[in-house]
Amino acid sequence: METFINPKSLFHLLLLPCLLLYSSIAYNSSPVEAAMHTNNWAVLVCTSRFWFNYRHMANTLSLYRTVKRLGIPDERIILMLADDMACNTRNKYPAQVFNNENHRLNLYGDNVEVDYRGYEVTVENFLRVLTGRHETAVPRSKRLLSDEGSHILLYMTGHGGDEFLKFQDSEELQSHDLADAVKQMKEKHRFKELLIMVDTCQAATLFNQSPGVLAIGSSMKGENSYSHHLDSDVGVSVVDRFTYYTLAFFERLNIYDNASLSSLFSSYNPSLLMSTAYYRKDLYKRRLEEVPVTNFFGSVMETIHTDAAYKALSRRNSGRFEDEMSLDQSVHHIKRRMLIKVNDGDEIHDINPELLQGEEGASKCPWSTFRKKFQKAENVDSLLNYGLVAMIPLLVISTWLVQ
Amino acid sequence: MAETKEKSLSDEKPKPRVRPIVRLGIFLISHSFLVSVVCCTAGVLALFLLPVLAKNTYISENALMPGSASPMLSNQHVSDGNRLVKDLTNPNSKSSETGIESHKIIAQYMLDLGAEVSFHKFHPQMNQFHPLHFFSSPVSGKIQENYSCSSYGINTVGIIRAPRGDGKEAIVLVTPYNALKSGFGEALSLGIAYSVFSLLTQVTWLAKDIIWLVADSQYGEYAAVAAWLREYQTPKFSSLSTPNAEMCPDVNNLFELKGHSISGSKFSNSFRRAGTMAAALVLKVRDQNEQFEDTISIYAEASNGQMPNLDLINVVNYLAVHRQGLRVNVEKLWPLLNSSWLKSLGEIFESLAKVAKSLYPKWKFGIPATEYVEGTATLASSLYYQALGVPTGPHGAFRDYQVDAITLEISPKFSLDKVWRNDILLRGGRLIEGVIRSVNNLLEKFHQSFFLYLLTSPSKFVSVGVYMIAFALLIAPLPMVAASLYVDANSSSNCSKGDSSTPSAITDTDEHGIAIRSWRWLNSAKLVFIVHLWGAIVSLLPYFISQIPDCSPTTSFMIWVLLSILSLLTLNSVLASPLACAKATQEKEWALVKSVTISSVFIGLGLMSVINFATAEIGALLMVPMCLLARPLKLDVRAGTLRSFCRLICNLVLGHIAFPPAAFFLLKGMLDGFGNANVGDFWMWVESLWAWNSATYLFIDLTWRAHAVVAHQSCMMFWNLDVLVLSL
Repeated sequence: METFINPKSLFHLLLLPCLLLYSSIAYNSSPVEAAMHTNNWAVLVCTSRFWFNYRHMANTLSLYRTVKRLGIPDERIILMLADDMACNTRNKYPAQVFNNENHRLNLYGDNVEVDYRGYEVTVENFLRVLTGRHETAVPRSKRLLSDEGSHILLYMTGHGGDEFLKFQDSEELQSHDLADAVKQMKEKHRFKELLIMVDTCQAATLFNQSPGVLAIGSSMKGENSYSHHLDSDVGVSVVDRFTYYTLAFFERLNIYDNASLSSLFSSYNPSLLMSTAYYRKDLYKRRLEEVPVTNFFGSVMETIHTDAAYKALSRRNSGRFEDEMSLDQSVHHIKRRMLIKVNDGDEIHDINPELLQGEEGASKCPWSTFRKKFQKAENVDSLLNYGLVAMIPLLVISTWLVQ
Repeated sequence: MAETKEKSLSDEKPKPRVRPIVRLGIFLISHSFLVSVVCCTAGVLALFLLPVLAKNTYISENALMPGSASPMLSNQHVSDGNRLVKDLTNPNSKSSETGIESHKIIAQYMLDLGAEVSFHKFHPQMNQFHPLHFFSSPVSGKIQENYSCSSYGINTVGIIRAPRGDGKEAIVLVTPYNALKSGFGEALSLGIAYSVFSLLTQVTWLAKDIIWLVADSQYGEYAAVAAWLREYQTPKFSSLSTPNAEMCPDVNNLFELKGHSISGSKFSNSFRRAGTMAAALVLKVRDQNEQFEDTISIYAEASNGQMPNLDLINVVNYLAVHRQGLRVNVEKLWPLLNSSWLKSLGEIFESLAKVAKSLYPKWKFGIPATEYVEGTATLASSLYYQALGVPTGPHGAFRDYQVDAITLEISPKFSLDKVWRNDILLRGGRLIEGVIRSVNNLLEKFHQSFFLYLLTSPSKFVSVGVYMIAFALLIAPLPMVAASLYVDANSSSNCSKGDSSTPSAITDTDEHGIAIRSWRWLNSAKLVFIVHLWGAIVSLLPYFISQIPDCSPTTSFMIWVLLSILSLLTLNSVLASPLACAKATQEKEWALVKSVTISSVFIGLGLMSVINFATAEIGALLMVPMCLLARPLKLDVRAGTLRSFCRLICNLVLGHIAFPPAAFFLLKGMLDGFGNANVGDFWMWVESLWAWNSATYLFIDLTWRAHAVVAHQSCMMFWNLDVLVLSL
């Protein structure tokens, strides 16, 4: 008897259910399921140097101020400024930057944290930030530490042309570089949703090469983006039209407002912009009317109510949440599938839902059985408790067998 | 050129198929007469078309942003400027013998503003002729041995340091000022500069230091500025410094006194410097009043036809016209404005443009006839001053150090009225402020816009790419004619028949070996070389003549002519009398001589066009027809037909016109009337040319030589040597 039962094999046998249990939980928190909006990041880039490009820095700083006001904390904003206008000797108001000739708002106040400045703003560094491939010495504050639940706003301004954006008067970011970086980010689950906003000449060409995200540019191919007005006191143009009207839109909002992206996008008036703001949403899965701007420009996300505060170990497995979500779970899943398909380069948009349903059913087979179990249990805490209790007799038996 | 073409020609001959380029070459050479007529006409026509083809100027450098900042110069600054003007025009300040009082006042004013002030003493350098210094920059640290302590000038220099700048760049503002006999205009220019200066001490946006140079113009504006620049750019170290003004006791005393009397630590006796100069503005106010409106004249030409970057002119023009409402003009050749033939030419162009527009509405190249006439007059003066190579103002001194500079001369409308004076101070000051603020925005040297251009109006220019076409067309026939002459000369001697294309073909009875014959051009080259050598000697003669003390221009000129003739005779006798020899052996080979001459002229013109386009263009206008038409007079006389007679007349006229002194007198006569033309004027003109190290002088020398060659070949069959010299 004693020789018949190998204690080691028995131990393995006992371990199996535990592993199964664990793996099912792990599966539950896999990317497909977990892609929920949890945090917001902003990457704000001003790519041009020189005093006469004052407005680009002002653009970026205005956006910085706006997203901060709408709730993105400073540590989740990567601010890249290619030149320092505030301390330029030509600046009539030292250490101040304005985006309006009324000089009411100093954009370069006390709380501006510039992550990449001056000659650090290069195409290489920009791509490193996006893709997260940094040298080991780069501090965390200079990294885009986003995850699969992040909404990222990528704002770029500078001088551009057909499918490129000039950096530092010496190099260019080309549209396929950007597309490549975004693809990598996607592969690495560095974002859930990405909004690219570009204010340059021929901005629409920059995301021509299908990065697979939501994108808006200040002008179409062959169009210029113009500055909004000249500050005759400082002696330079202080803001670009596209950014000016973007800011005008946001100034009316506060963190609790529910304005949708489509209202932002339709707020651009081509005759005021003197160019046509172009946005592409064909690769974006949600309807723009339903997406609040604060999803990108602020840090407002869906709140999930739980019964007991801080009781749950994992909020995702909360039974109540499951109850709420179970109805439209499959629909969500289909949508996600479609998105994945499109991302794979498939142009077929009208995928048969039944087909998908079947596929899904097959793939979900082991999972659904466990889910039923969970649904029976009141919550995961009790499940875990049961599990632990069940392990005690097993442990007792095994020790007894070994002896 | 001709030789290579000929070689390729002879190489290719046995082959049945010739490459198209060679065939084209042969075709052009065989029709050289037609080609040269067409090309020359087209070249002259293109030159007259330039005002029509002129483009509007535009500001090329993004960083400049002229007029984007509103002027900050207020009435407060203007009244400051007015105060200085009053103090300077006050008769008490003029009492001093040396005018040191005025400089003291200016220095005190600068110090009160908080600027760094220093005096710069200099000795006016006499203009000297340096035969080999045409292209080199002014000699550094050269001090004259025989200066006297009594003759020195004082430049007052005030420097504002940019409060947050790095002190590596500077903008220079120059106001020429003669303390001894200053007109009201000079005082006013100082007032304008002072009001701007007082503003600039307060502003926070300076990125470049501001240097205000009050240049003592009692020995000439250029000399003062050049002396200061020499000192600025080539620092002298104390151990190496040779005796200069500081050694004069009286001068020293004056400055010691000054050092004590003027309070403030910012005054220093040593030379003060700021950063490298980004741009310089010379500001003048003319004493005479303009009749119509306040105008501002821009002078830009520096030595050897160098121009400042077009952006600088654009900025001034833009700010003056669009911000301050001043009328801007650039130099014009005034006599051309009233010429009726130019007007009719303009009308022809205008009507042609109208026809073209009616044919195809998108063709809009016509300009009104009056505009055309003005454009041509401006273009002509632009060409003339560039060709002359003499700077048109003190800004020329800056160009020698690659600093972009222009002279602005304000001609106000009214006189002496208080209100008006404030107005001109305000507008002039705001213009200067605007230009300085614009240049202050610069990040690099001026480099975006053109350096090679001709102005046809303050806001229109002809760029190098356009005007070179006219020149290229003009000189294009030269190599072809040279080649064709060479071919003819060879072929006519080969087959002792007359060639139909050269009606005056001479049958070569002498039998030479083919090898010898193919090298025959060396004889002609030798002849041409000797004449050029003579030309070189003639052009060097003025250096020695100028050493003769107390010589009036007329006598100098006479000495020059005499020495020239003498040198020709000596050369003739020493070098185995090349002319006589030529007369004997080469009587029938004038074509070869002409071919070599034309080749050398072509090379000379081509080289000159790189150095100074305007000179080359004017030279080409004179020399190309002369070179192409030149034929031995004897042959024409012998032929006796009407055609040959016409040609003979043309030759004689052209030969005389293209002779530099003759051309000079003709031009002067045309512009000023023949009455007051004087032989001495030419001497003075030439003197001024070499004083400015103008390459034009070299070029005139080249013209001279080419002319000599052509004249020689025209005459050698007809008259003897003496007649040749007389004709020169």
